Amino acid sequence: MIPIGIWVNALLTLCILSFLYKDNPFFRFAESLFAGLSLGYYIGLTMQNTLRPNLLNPVIHEFGVNFNYLLIIPAALGILLYFRYIPRISWMARIALAVYVGYYSGVTLVQKLHGEILPQARDTVLPVTHGGANALWNIIMIIGVFSVLIYFYFSAEHKGALGRVSRVGIWFLMISFGASFGYTVMARVSLLMGRFSFLVNTWIRPMISG
Amino acid sequence: MNLKKMLFIDRRIIYLLVAAGALYPIIRPIGLPVIPTKPVAALYDAVEKMGPENAVIVSFDYGPSSEPELNPMAGAILRHLFLRKIKVVVLALFPLGGNEEAKSELNKVVDEYDLQYGVDYVNLGYKEGGQAVMKRMAISIADVFPVDVDGRPTADMPIMAQAKNYSDISLLISLATGIIGEWWANLVNPQFGVPVSVGCTAVSAPKYYAYLRAGQMMSLLGGLKGASEYEKLLKDGYASVRQTYEKPEEKKASATTGMDVQSIVHVIIIAFIVFGNVIFFATRKEGSK
Repeated sequence: MIPIGIWVNALLTLCILSFLYKDNPFFRFAESLFAGLSLGYYIGLTMQNTLRPNLLNPVIHEFGVNFNYLLIIPAALGILLYFRYIPRISWMARIALAVYVGYYSGVTLVQKLHGEILPQARDTVLPVTHGGANALWNIIMIIGVFSVLIYFYFSAEHKGALGRVSRVGIWFLMISFGASFGYTVMARVSLLMGRFSFLVNTWIRPMISG
Repeated sequence: MNLKKMLFIDRRIIYLLVAAGALYPIIRPIGLPVIPTKPVAALYDAVEKMGPENAVIVSFDYGPSSEPELNPMAGAILRHLFLRKIKVVVLALFPLGGNEEAKSELNKVVDEYDLQYGVDYVNLGYKEGGQAVMKRMAISIADVFPVDVDGRPTADMPIMAQAKNYSDISLLISLATGIIGEWWANLVNPQFGVPVSVGCTAVSAPKYYAYLRAGQMMSLLGGLKGASEYEKLLKDGYASVRQTYEKPEEKKASATTGMDVQSIVHVIIIAFIVFGNVIFFATRKEGSK
């Protein structure tokens, strides 16, 4: 006997795959169901895994004894966000938003500078006079980075030397898009394989073998 | 036959051929060879050098939509970590299913080994917050995860004494879809110095090569191909794992079997690209006559 969950899973998979033939109500039903379920799951998960253990439990069980009073700040900020639904004091929601934007700007600023710009720039400063085949590879890297940067320089018309270098940049970009396309095909085929494997091995085969 | 008509072939015919190409190896696996590459071997070699004194974080940063690519990767990596008796701290930062993926992969693998929960491994579950969680874990992992996935307090678990914060962590492995894997590489690695390895979906693999080259990641497993390479290394290195992957249910779900599908479908797609270009140039030539 195949569990009902597998039947639901299989039928919803077929509903989604039916879009390949053409748009239809079965596909739209499965799509809406998926969106709704995802949102409900997200709310429940955040409540169960973050709000309860990190905020509600300490407030309920530890208030007055070993309580971390700093927790009041994120709790208040979270509540303030919902003030936007009360028109008279909706402006107060902006206080919480300002703190969130400020915090994540701070985190992201350092992250981008320290984790992307500096290491990536450092990785482009490469030796080109020694190292044999590596030196050749390094030259290609430097030409690629330089020409692609020139391609994205829009303050001058791409004519003459600038135009020629930016054309080299286009070639590098095309090669990178090709690699991305290849990987994207591989990812999408994996998804198709996952669904087919489920339909064949988990649904149809046990059904046939009884 | 009018060549121009061939240029406007119904896309559903292509879908059917791709479907047939994908179904055949699922019904009858072919077993095409897999050759491991350097970015994948780097993770295998790093894990080989570790033992019970090391603690590794495995972050499940993906959901059901990436299961076919990342579940085989998770299975192979967890098996390798447990074989080496490394302490494994599992967590999830991807909201839509990371928690469930972590639970199901752990449940599948832990029974194969003699492991004690809270001593050899722990599942800390999902935590909302992304970068804020990552930054806070540098101070105390138990503070961020006061209870595990089932609500048990983590502070008293023996494994947490070996994984107090990033300074105790020998390696961080993120199995990622989307941007969370990037955060481990561009936030945690540069700011806290933890070696990071990412196993990602194939669609995100190209951007991770930039982090790999810059030394912000020590290894990279890209999509199903990366997973199949890791399986190959593991099967070559451990006879017990080879036997596990010979079991029919493991064989069907393995990345190695999945690569048969990849190879056949890629041949079909390449054939269509060549076919489309030949017809395009032939009709253009006809038009210019």
